[in-house]
Amino acid sequence: MESCPTKPTSKELEGEKLILLGNPNVGKSVIFNYLTGKYVTVSNYPGTTVEVASGSMTAHGKKFKVIDTPGVNSLIPMSEDEKVTRDILLQEPSAHLVQVIDAKNLRRGLLISLQLLEMNLPFLVILNMWDEAKSRGIEIHLENLSKLLGMPVLKAVATRKKGLQKIPTHFRKSLSASISIHYPEAIEEGISRILSLLPTPLPLSGRSLAVMLLSGDESLSEWLHQNLSDQAITKIETICRETQAHFAEPVGYLINQARLRKVDELLSQVLKSTGRPSLTFATSLGNWMIHPIWGIPILLLILYVTYQFVGVFGAQISVDFLEETLFGEWLLPPLTRGIQSLIPIPWLQELLVGPYGIFTMALTYAIAIVLPIVGCFFLIFGLMEDSGYLPRLAVMTNALFKKMGLNGKAVLPMVLGLGCDTMATMTTRILDTEKDRIIVTLLLALGVPCSAQLGVILGMFSGLPIYYLLIWISLIGGIIVLVGYLAAKVLPGKGSDFILELPPLRIPQFSNIVVKTLARIEWYLKEAVPLFILGTLLLFIFHQTGALNLLEKVSTPLIVHFLGLPAKATEAFIVGFLRRDYGAAGLYVLAKEGQLNEGQILVSLVTITLFIPCIAQLFMMVKERGWRKSLMITAVIFPIAFGVGGMLNLFLRLLGL
Amino acid sequence: MNMNANDPKGPHRKRWGVMMNIETDRVDELLELIWTLRERGVSDLNQLLAETKDEEARSILRMMIKDGLFEMEGNRVILKERGEEKAREIIRRHRLTERLLSEIFEMSEEEVEEEACKLEHILSPGVTESVCTFLGHPPTCIHGKPIPRGDCCAKFKREMKPLVIPLEELGLGERGRIVFIAPRSHQRLDRLSSLGIVPGSILRMHQKNPSYVLQIGETTLALDHEVVKDIYVKKVE
Repeated sequence: MESCPTKPTSKELEGEKLILLGNPNVGKSVIFNYLTGKYVTVSNYPGTTVEVASGSMTAHGKKFKVIDTPGVNSLIPMSEDEKVTRDILLQEPSAHLVQVIDAKNLRRGLLISLQLLEMNLPFLVILNMWDEAKSRGIEIHLENLSKLLGMPVLKAVATRKKGLQKIPTHFRKSLSASISIHYPEAIEEGISRILSLLPTPLPLSGRSLAVMLLSGDESLSEWLHQNLSDQAITKIETICRETQAHFAEPVGYLINQARLRKVDELLSQVLKSTGRPSLTFATSLGNWMIHPIWGIPILLLILYVTYQFVGVFGAQISVDFLEETLFGEWLLPPLTRGIQSLIPIPWLQELLVGPYGIFTMALTYAIAIVLPIVGCFFLIFGLMEDSGYLPRLAVMTNALFKKMGLNGKAVLPMVLGLGCDTMATMTTRILDTEKDRIIVTLLLALGVPCSAQLGVILGMFSGLPIYYLLIWISLIGGIIVLVGYLAAKVLPGKGSDFILELPPLRIPQFSNIVVKTLARIEWYLKEAVPLFILGTLLLFIFHQTGALNLLEKVSTPLIVHFLGLPAKATEAFIVGFLRRDYGAAGLYVLAKEGQLNEGQILVSLVTITLFIPCIAQLFMMVKERGWRKSLMITAVIFPIAFGVGGMLNLFLRLLGL
Repeated sequence: MNMNANDPKGPHRKRWGVMMNIETDRVDELLELIWTLRERGVSDLNQLLAETKDEEARSILRMMIKDGLFEMEGNRVILKERGEEKAREIIRRHRLTERLLSEIFEMSEEEVEEEACKLEHILSPGVTESVCTFLGHPPTCIHGKPIPRGDCCAKFKREMKPLVIPLEELGLGERGRIVFIAPRSHQRLDRLSSLGIVPGSILRMHQKNPSYVLQIGETTLALDHEVVKDIYVKKVE
C-alpha cells in the first residue's frame, strides 16, 4: 500500500530483511503497518503480539522483508517474547535493524541500544511518541545521541505518520560507536575466559554472547549444543559458576546494573527536562482509574457500559434483528423453499434446512446469535486494550485474584474469557508461571461463560425474578474463587510476581480498533463456524441414526433424576460440548417452549455454565497445556458441574421451589 | 571486582595504633581472609597462605590455633566457635562501614576501602548496631556480598529513625533513591532491573492500594507488596 520512495540503490543496502524491535508499547506495530501496509494487532497490553508478524516493503528499488518482533525489555531473555526476539537476531545477523524507542522512556530504550551495540549490530533509532515526550517537558538532543551511539537517530510520531518517511533512507551498515561498558573485574575475567572457548565465526559479537552466558541465559543452550562440544559447554558452565561465586547478587543483575549506569551517563548528555509537566486530563483520569476508592465506581461504570453494549445492544437488539428478522423472515424461508424445490432428496433437505440443518441450525446460530455478541465484545475489548484501561483493571483486581493464588494479570484472560474462552486460553501465555497458566485455564474451562453463552444465559434469566440471576452469579463466582484457592494450594510450583507496566491512558485510534475487531471477527468466523457445522453434522447423524435417543436414555438417570431436568435437556448438554452457547441455546429453546420451570432453568444453567468447555477450547487447552493436564482439568470439571447442579436441585426441592 | 575485604593495605596499617593492636589487627585480617575464602568455597591452608599479605602468617596462625580460634582438619582450615564469632563481627563491621561510607557519605570506592579497613578493627558493638539500624539492616555490602546479621537485625528495632527505609514506608507522592534490593530471587531481580529498578534509580510512590504503583522516569509500574517489601530506599527531597 504505502510504498516508500524508490530511489537508486545505495551500496550499503545489500541485506534483504528489516527487523523492528524495541520495548513493549512503543509503537512498533504501527510503524510496521506503515512500512508494509499490512495490519497486525497493536495494543497497549504487553503480550498481545506474541506471534511475529512479517510483511514486505519496497525501498531503493528492492524488496525488503519486514519483521515485527515481540516487545522486549532486555535481550537477555526472561520471557518467551524476549527469547523470540533474541533468537531472530541470532538467526538474522545481517538484517537491517530499526530500534523503536518511546521518547518518554529513553532510559529503557537505551538499555536495549547498549545491548545491540555490544552485539556489534548496526541499527537505526526511531524516537517515537515525540509529541508525548514534548508535552511532558522532555527534550532530547538528537545530534548528541546520534554521535554517542554512532547510529542515525530519527524522531517520529508514528500514529500520525510523522517522521516515518525517512526510515528507508536511513538504515545503514557502518558502526562507529565509541561506547564500551566495563563490567566488574571478575565478570570481565569470565567474559575473556568464555571468549577463548567460543567458535568462529559467530552470529553476534563474542563479547555479547559471553555476557549472555554469564547472565545465566539458559535459552542459549540449544545454540550452544549445536555449535560447541560438550566439553567446552561444561567448561563454560564452570566459568559461570566461578564468576557467580564472587557475588551475592546474580551476575545478570550486576551486568544490567552496569548497563543502566552507562545509560544514565548517556542520558545526562542528551536529555533536557524543561520543568514539571502539566497534569493532563488523561493522566488524572488514569490515576483515578487505579485509585483505591474512585477506581471502583469507574470499574463498575465500565462494566455497566460493557453490559449495556454487549448484553443489551449485542445480545438482545442485534440478535433479535438478525435471528428473527434477517434469518427468520428474509433469508431462511426463501432458502428453504428453494432447496425443497431444487433438491428432491429428503435427507439432503434435512441436512441443509431441517431442524438440525447446516443453514437452519449451524449458520443461524453462528452468525445470527453468536456473531453480534462476540463482535460487540471484541469492539469493547479493543477499546480497553488501546486505551490502556486493561492493565489498570489488573491493578484494581489484584487483591481479589491474590485469594485465588493468582495476581491481577490474570484478570486479562478472565475478562477475555467472557468474550471467547478459546481465545482466552491462548492468552494465558502472558502469565509468567506454568502454575498460573494451569489455574487460569482450569477456571476458564470451569466457570467463565463466553459471551455467546452469557448472552443466552442472560436472556433466559431476563424472564425470571432477579434473585435467580443473583443466585447464579454468587454460585458461579463462589465456585471460581473456591476452586482457584484450592488449586493454588494443591498445585506445585510458585505463583508469579505481580510486576505490570501501566502505559499512559490514550484516546484509542478508531481505525485501529475497527481493523482489529474485524481481524478478530475474521478469526472467529474461521475458527468457530467450521466447528458449528461439525457439531451440527454430529447432531444430525445422532438424530438420524437414533443415537441421540440412546445417549439421552443412557444419561437420563443423571439428567432426569439427579438434576431433575426433562430428558430432552440431555441434547443440550451433548451439544454444549461442541459449542458452549449451543448448549445454552438448546436450553433456551426448551425454556421458550415451556418445558422447563423456573427451578429447572436455574439448575440447568448452573450446570451448563460449569460444564466442560466447548470442543474448540478443549483443543486449545491440549495445544497449550498438553494432553495430560487437559485430561486432569476435564476430570476435575465433570464432577463439579454435575455435583453442584445436583445439589442445587436437591436444595431447591427441599425448599419446595 | 575489587574484593578488598581481605586485602590489608600495608602502609596505613603500620601507622595505625600501638604494638598490641597491630597483633590483634593481624589476627583479625587472617580471620577475615578465612571467612572470605570460605565464601568462595575454599578452606585450603595453602590457598590461605598464598593470598595473605602477612609474611609471618604461619606463626600467627599457629598462635591462633593455640588460642582456639580455628583448627586444622588435614589441610583444611575450620573455624571454631570463637573464631567464627570473631570473624563474623569483623566482616560485619567492614561491610557495614563500606555501605555507610559509600551510600550515605558518597565517598569514592578507594576511600571507602581505606577507611573500612581501619574502622573494622575499632568499631564498638554499640556503634556497629547503630550503623546497621541507621542503614536499615542491609543484607549485602556494596560488592554484593552478604553482611552477617547481628542482634539488632533480628530484633529489627526502630528506635532510631533510619535514613534508609523499606520502600513500603515511603509516603504517597514522595521520591526515593533505591539503595538496595534484597535478592530474594534471581529472576525477580533481573526483571526489575530490565524495567529500570536498580540501586541508584529514583522512583516516586504513587499509591499503595489496591496495588503499589510506582513512577520511575516516565514508566508507571504496578507491583505487589511481596515485590515492594524487598526494596529499600533513601528519601529524596
